[in-house]
This record gives sequence, C-alpha cells and structure tokens, in this order.
Amino acid sequence: MSLAAEAFVSQIAAAEPWPENAALFQPLKDDQVLLSDCASSLAVQAYLRMCNLPVQVCCRANAEHMSPSGKVPFIHVGNQVVSELGPIVQFTKAKVVGCVSGQGLSNGPLSCKRHLQHCAEGSAVFLQGHSLSDGLDDVQRAEMKAYMELVNNMLLTAELYIQWCDEATAAQITRPRYSSPYPWPLNHILAYQKQWEVRRKMSAIGWAGKSLEQVYEDVSQCCQALSQRLGTQQYFFNKQPTELDALVFGHLFTILTTQLTSDELSDKIKSYSNLLSFCRRIEHNYFQEHERPGLDPLSIRPSLM
Amino acid sequence: MGTVHARSLDPLPMHGPDLGLHPDDAELVEAEPETKQEVLENKDVIVQRVHIDGLGRTKEDLLGYEIADVFMAKNLIDVMKKSHEAREKLLRLGIFRKVEVVIDTAEGEDALPNGLDVTFEVTELRRLTGSYNTMVGNNEGSMVLGVKLPNIFGRAEKLTFQFSYGTKETSYGLSFFKPQLGHFDRNICVNLYKVTGQFPWSSLRETDRGIATEFNFPIWKTNHTLKWEGVWRELGCLARTASFAVREESGHSLKSSLSHAMVIDTRNSAILPRRGALFRINQELAGYTGGDASFLKEDFEIQLNRRLFWDSVLSASLWGGMILPVGDKPASIADRSYINKVNVINGESDIYLEQFAVTGDYLGGEAYWAGGLHLYTPLPFRPGRGGFGDLFRTHFFLNAGNLCNLNYGEGPRAHLQKLAEYIRWSYGAGIVLRLGNIARLELNYCIPMGVQIGDRICDGVQFGAGIRFL
Repeated sequence: MSLAAEAFVSQIAAAEPWPENAALFQPLKDDQVLLSDCASSLAVQAYLRMCNLPVQVCCRANAEHMSPSGKVPFIHVGNQVVSELGPIVQFTKAKVVGCVSGQGLSNGPLSCKRHLQHCAEGSAVFLQGHSLSDGLDDVQRAEMKAYMELVNNMLLTAELYIQWCDEATAAQITRPRYSSPYPWPLNHILAYQKQWEVRRKMSAIGWAGKSLEQVYEDVSQCCQALSQRLGTQQYFFNKQPTELDALVFGHLFTILTTQLTSDELSDKIKSYSNLLSFCRRIEHNYFQEHERPGLDPLSIRPSLM
Repeated sequence: MGTVHARSLDPLPMHGPDLGLHPDDAELVEAEPETKQEVLENKDVIVQRVHIDGLGRTKEDLLGYEIADVFMAKNLIDVMKKSHEAREKLLRLGIFRKVEVVIDTAEGEDALPNGLDVTFEVTELRRLTGSYNTMVGNNEGSMVLGVKLPNIFGRAEKLTFQFSYGTKETSYGLSFFKPQLGHFDRNICVNLYKVTGQFPWSSLRETDRGIATEFNFPIWKTNHTLKWEGVWRELGCLARTASFAVREESGHSLKSSLSHAMVIDTRNSAILPRRGALFRINQELAGYTGGDASFLKEDFEIQLNRRLFWDSVLSASLWGGMILPVGDKPASIADRSYINKVNVINGESDIYLEQFAVTGDYLGGEAYWAGGLHLYTPLPFRPGRGGFGDLFRTHFFLNAGNLCNLNYGEGPRAHLQKLAEYIRWSYGAGIVLRLGNIARLELNYCIPMGVQIGDRICDGVQFGAGIRFL
C-alpha cells in the first residue's frame, strides 16, 4: 500500500472510537520475551494507560512475525494493526475519543462512558484526539523528540547489544528464551538467524567494535542526561506525562526488574535516585492505582515499591 | 554382357527401384548370394554376444540387467522383439541420447552357424546439461535456470538443480535420484528445496525450506511412494490489510511428516487422456517424527475416461480429502489451504474452493470434495486436423464441490451432511490447449451456481493454466 493510501486508511479509522476489545500483542511473558521487547511493550502499555485507553495484553509466541513491521509490540484496534511506540502515538492522536465539554477539558482518568455522558448532557461538545504532548510548545516538543531519540539510540541499542552481542548473555539467556517456542532444529536456526541480523545491524551503526564496558558507559551517560533533564520534576515536562515518560519508564523499569547475567546494567541506573523515584511514581500512578478488569497489572514483575 | 545391354535398352527399369545403380553393380549383387543366404525366420538361433558400443562413463553392470533378456531369444523374431524392448529400457534410463540396434550373424572362431551378435550403438548424454526458461504465472514473472547431471556416477543416477529468480521471489531445488540396478521403477529420490509462494487470495506469503526423501516402488499394477518430509515453513502477511485471522497464523513452524501414496494409472496420457482410469490415494501423518505441526491428512483422486463417438472423450473425476488435527492445536493455514493449492489457477473450479474470513481472505477448509464431468470433443469442423489442430479440444464441463470445517463433536454423519449441503457448482464450455504432455491451457466461459455468501465468484470468461485438473 502506498503511503498516501495508508494515511487515508488511518484517517478513516480515526473516525471510529477506541473499541473495548483493543489488544496489545507481545511475546510470551514467562519464557520468551527479551529485555528489549519487554521494554518496548511496557513503554506502549504505559503510554496507553497515560492516555486512558484500555487495552488487553495478549501473549503470542509468534507476535514478532504477526507484527506488520516485524517488531513488537503491536496493537490491534478495530481492524487496524499498528506497531511500535512512534506509530502508535500517531495513531492515538488521530483517534477521536476525547471530548471537550462545557465543564472544561476532560482529560485524565475519566472513563469513556463518562465522556459519553458529558456528550449526552448536551454541553458544547467537540472532539479531539488523544495526545499527551499537545500542551507542549514547539521547543518542548522538539526537545521531547530529541530525548526519545536518545533513549532509542542509546538504551534500546545497548539492550540489543547486551542481549545478542555479549556471548555469555546470548548463550545463557537470549538464545534459549528467543527460541523456546520452536522445536529442534528450528530453535537453533531461528536464534542464530536473529543474532546474525542484530549483529549486522550493530556493525552498520558502528557498535560492533564496542566492548561491554563502553556500552555500560554509554548507558550511564544516557541516564545522566535523562536524570539532569528530569531534575526534581514529577515528569519530564512538569506535571503532565508525555510519550517520553512512557518510553523512559518502559526501558528503565524493565532493566531494573530483569535478571541478567550481571547486575551491572541495573546498577548504572540505580545510581540516579531521581530516575528510580520517577519509575516508582509511574508504576504507582498508572499500574497500581488504576486497577480495572481488562487492564494488565505488572503483577508478574517484581514491583519497585 | 549381352544381357546387360538388353536390360539397359529396356525402358521399364527407369521406374524400378534400382534406378541409381550402375549396371555393373547390379550384376555383382545378383551374382553373389544364393549360396550363403538362409532364411532364419523360423529357425532356432542363439544370441552369442551382445555388444554395447559408445559407452563412456556408464558402468557395464547397470546395462547387464537391461539387456539380459536378449540372450533368452530363441528365434529371429524373438531377437528383434527383445532387442527392441532392451532399447526401450536403455532409453528409459535417461542416460542415452540415442540407441541403435544392429543384429548380425556371429563372427569369429567360436561362431555357431546359427549364432547372432547384437550390437547396441549408444550415444551418451553429456555430463552436464543446462536449460533456461522464463515463466509467467501467479502474478509474477520468473527466470528458471536448470542444471542437470545425468548419469553422474555411471549407474543412471541423476542430479538436478533448478534456480528460479522471479520479480518477487527466489526459489531453488536440488534433487538426487538413484534407481535400483535392474529395477528402474524402484528408486530413491532426495530433494532439498526452498520455495516461496504468494497467495493473494489469502493475503499470505509462504516460504518453505525443506528436505524430502522419497522411496518409489511398484507392487503388481500399483505404484507406491513412501516419503518423509521435513519442512520449515515461514508464513507472513502480504499486506497490512490482511485479515487478522491470517495474521495470527504468521511465523515459523516445522512440519515433519511421513506419507504414503498409491497410484493406479491406466490412462494413455496424463493430459487429455482418451481412455483409462486413474486412482490415487495419499495419506500423510505429521507430528510423530518431530516438528510442531501434527495432523493426519487423507486425500483421494479418481478419474475415469471413456471414448465416445467422433473422437470425443467423456471424463469424470472425483477428489476428496480431509485433515484431522492431532492434539489441541488447530491445523495451520499452510496445511489447510492445500485444497486450493493443488488447483491454484484453474478458474473454473475456483468457486467452490473459497471460504473466507471476515475480511475476505481464504482460510482453507478441513474437509472437501470436488467432482467434475467433462466432455472433450475435437474443434468444430476440425481445422488443422492431424497437426496443430489436434492440440486443441473443445470441452463442456459441469463441476461441483464443497468444503467445510470439522467440529469434532458432531460425529461423521453430521459432517457428511454438511458437505452435502449448499453445494457449489458451475457449468460452462471452453477450449483447451495441450502443452507437451505436462500442462494445459484453458479458455472457458463459466456460469457458477449455488454460490455461498463469502465465495469469490469468477463467472464469465476465464483463462487458466495448470498441471492438475479435475
């Protein structure tokens, strides 16, 4: 499909409200999912919770192959399939769910039903898409995008490096987990195929020659930048969370709660106390307070509390 | 010399057979025989020696089995018949380009008066032959390069490699074939392949990488094939708009299956036969030898051909089959959609082979049957008779079929009833072109009947090509 046609389809889809049966697909939680995929999935879940869009988390062994871009997670909304955080943010922006009524901006933890009630009460109603970054000015938005790129380029790449390029981690954790749903000899073929693919990507971006120490150093620098930007604020842009908060939370929380061959990676983050409390805050605000049926708590993972 | 003169004056021999002969030669030929010539036709003869000339890399022990019968011949007619049979056998090995037979009286010291020598003059195929084809089909154009090494180890083994480079997909296959000495029908075949196919009606893309070992052997009048196949299958969606039911099937799976096929084929030709019948039954059991696909699949095919008046042929066929998943997992779309795959491009039978998911992608069925009745006649007024025109046939057809999913709680009676309900059928007429002895092209006008909701209808004029037809 051409880009124009795709844009058209997503515009059409935008006319429909967020359905009850929206689902997020990710690999099997216990045996299969890897650090990087888990982080990306958690970032999307956090983002959707911040937008107050309910989503059912479905674990599938073939989630990676079901995804249109070959990357997890992806969401299935109506008959639309959208993968990865960036496109999902764009997609929810186009979705018409939020209402602005006479009683002011109804944002935050209001259920859809209450939105509809507002609409029914006959107050001045117009529709608006879901967006967390609408309150930002252009400079802030550019800054947010820059920090999101930093997280994707540093944290995500470091996670991939440690998973696939550090031979101890690859042999003990990554390959057995990645290939767990497949029978012999397919499990070995697929794991090595994936490893080769990631390593090729690493050499394309110049990470192949890096040592593990250098990667830890990069992670540390990235965390320092994030920590400085966050400062003593509640979220990166003051009181309102944005997609940057969701992304940072997804990665940091996953790194902190995942057992790897060494604890060095999580130790790098633990040295920044404001980042730790930032993770606790989001976990508390979005994954514990809002317990509702249909929402998936982080019960499987150890809490930071 | 006087007689010669007399003959040369005679005007009649001008039309005779010995026109080109010089008068002197004619005299010599006439003068020589009488004494030595014997009529061997009804006498006992002994084949003393069989020579094979022109052998290069072919091992002689292989040929010993093929020509052994020639020694059994007791009279000249028999020798000629047996030699002819031996020649056919040698040609069937697929290692000689040309085989010629020369029968002569035995020569040498131990030559018997009624002894014969039979000489096979053979020309071997080259060590390496190549081919190059271009193909268009399945919404794709491709270039096929083939390399064949016939008789690679000198005992009729054959190694073939095919590589197809298409506008969308690349496929290849490597195959090794070895017949048993003296029993060409008993053979082993090992295949390694990668095949990629796009199935737009399912929005599905499938890549198969596999290895298959096949053992073929005849028993009485039947041919059997035992096969083990290990295939790594990769399914993916063709487009973002693919229905979610197809998307859910994406990913990797490994099938390891044992199958057995039995074929009885008395037809005179595989394409547009005039007489004879075909019966084929195939069963496949997957999952017990490894892999994560487990099912039991049964298929059968019956075809009867009968010659009627004016070179017309009536052909009736019936196909059927079912797939039973073993265990809790439902059968993958890669195993189910086989019903469509066998008849990929045959438009006329499209209508009943379609069953759709919500957004219209073909998902395949678990049980199916299909029947067809064809009447093939020569072209009206028979243009190009005895030549090009014989490649064409007009045909009238009536096809019917159905497929359904099996819900195992209901029992076989309910399933049979389901297959008998809402039968899709169609009729029409068209022209068939026979391509070699392997494929045919069809141009049909088809009228579908009994169409169910969700079926993709192909009515009107259709064009199709294929290898297997109802």
